[in-house]
Amino acid sequence: MREASDAVGSAAVNVGDILIGLGIVLIVLAMLGRLAARLGIPSIPLYLIGGLFLGQGGPFPVHAGDEFLSVGAEIGIVLLLLLLGLEYSPQELRDGMRSTWLAGLMDALLNGLPGFAAGLILGWSLTASILLAGVTYISSSGIIARLIHDMGRIANRETPIILSLLVMEDIVMAVFLPIVAVLVVGASFTQGLLAIAIALGVVALAFAIAFRLGDQVSRAIHSRSSELLLLTILGITFLVAGIADAVQVSAAVGAFLLGVTLSGRVADDVRILLPPFRDVFGGFFFVFFGMRVDLAALPPVLLPACAIAVIGIGTKVATGRFAAGRAGLGKKARQRTAYSLVPRGEFSIIIASLGVTAGVETQLGPLAAAYVLILAIVGPLLLRLTDRKHPRYASS
Amino acid sequence: MELFETKLPGIGVRYEFTTDTGDRVGVVVRRDGKRDIALYDRADPDDCQGSIELTRGDASRLAELLGGTSITERVEELRHVVEGLAIEWVTMPKKKGLTNKTIADGKIRTKTSASVVAVIRGDHAVPGPGPSFEFMAGDVVLVMGDSDSVKAASAILTGA
Repeated sequence: MREASDAVGSAAVNVGDILIGLGIVLIVLAMLGRLAARLGIPSIPLYLIGGLFLGQGGPFPVHAGDEFLSVGAEIGIVLLLLLLGLEYSPQELRDGMRSTWLAGLMDALLNGLPGFAAGLILGWSLTASILLAGVTYISSSGIIARLIHDMGRIANRETPIILSLLVMEDIVMAVFLPIVAVLVVGASFTQGLLAIAIALGVVALAFAIAFRLGDQVSRAIHSRSSELLLLTILGITFLVAGIADAVQVSAAVGAFLLGVTLSGRVADDVRILLPPFRDVFGGFFFVFFGMRVDLAALPPVLLPACAIAVIGIGTKVATGRFAAGRAGLGKKARQRTAYSLVPRGEFSIIIASLGVTAGVETQLGPLAAAYVLILAIVGPLLLRLTDRKHPRYASS
Repeated sequence: MELFETKLPGIGVRYEFTTDTGDRVGVVVRRDGKRDIALYDRADPDDCQGSIELTRGDASRLAELLGGTSITERVEELRHVVEGLAIEWVTMPKKKGLTNKTIADGKIRTKTSASVVAVIRGDHAVPGPGPSFEFMAGDVVLVMGDSDSVKAASAILTGA
């Protein structure tokens, strides 16, 4: 009896602390978001900086209840990927794969290999180097889509090429993340191979379901009541993500594949309902990642981060020029394609956080944070420099 | 006019065409119903000089504006072709007149000698509607006859 009341009492204190912590985190996010809008840069790098300062090693450590924040961050990833998947229909994924596989392959090799090599040069393990390859490879769909919209480039000729490349990267992610999820567990070679085979089998099965049964599933889920739809969709999403995580496909990929499966009215309604949740929990995700990175660990990795960032710009520029050139676009459009692909963001952080959670390599977190900080800011700036109309569009 | 169609994964479809005066125009139909109209740059044909974002409502108003003029133009042409023949497009009111009543109820032919040639409902047309045809609010009715009888017929239709 006494124990029970003690537990209730301490829980109450905890709840108050957690709420205060979360309140501070959210207000800091809100202020940073405003600053980002004022400066005309994406909010992701500022959220990361906020996390660095609020983390244990930072000048203003906040104790927001790490457990809640880590769950919140996980929900953030799941919602980010669900909504990304919702953007695409299975058809679009198939078409994208067909039309841009060559440029997509080049994208993966040109941008992944330097990261892999950098990992090995830094003396990291094979797994950590593969994770770094993912970090340097994948562009930020979120930041790039936003830039295309804000700069009034939706109708531009290079836009479909950029979007197809992003689609390719997302498909590669759906294969890459499960492999990495198995690798970070550190299983033996045969065990790992088996687990990877199972994971990829599950992904292939999910794609097949998305193609065949997408419509039926979507119709069964739909409800006119937004409350019921929200409960249903969040329930199914967490369930699918959780199961995906349990079979080491990674929760993010589970959510992405669910998003691809959903279509029609459900997809339309969810695209309106979920973004506010994604913004809150996505904010948690970036802050939480920043909080887990010790600010003191940042300066030593700054030089390698700058080096791979410079290489990362070069390789994306080469990829963009190649893809746009193949499509027969003019010089300026090739340049716009090239710079558009430079920003890295949410995906690099998602890949890095897999490694950080598993404790694969202590330098991975700080290096990935620095890398994304640099490219999420420099990428959009490069793009704006090449845009003669920028004053008119930068404000939105 | 040749219309080029390009899919924009995650956004929608882009249509492109060249106007008779040589400008290239793009229309993006987004999946959420929004539309973008863009005018391509003559110096850099891959880029837009500018683009306008239209909501679903904006787009349908603009379409009305663009399509509406072409209907009046065509009617003007018709008037020129046939001397002494009047044509009028009558939009059916919400409740008054012959709305929710049949052509026979109005006895337009007997009273005015004008005739109802066609009715446009939504985006389909009913050519030569029979006496049992029932008007609905918002129908656009094409009435033909001499100018006095057309005026009288449109008064019966609208109840004015």
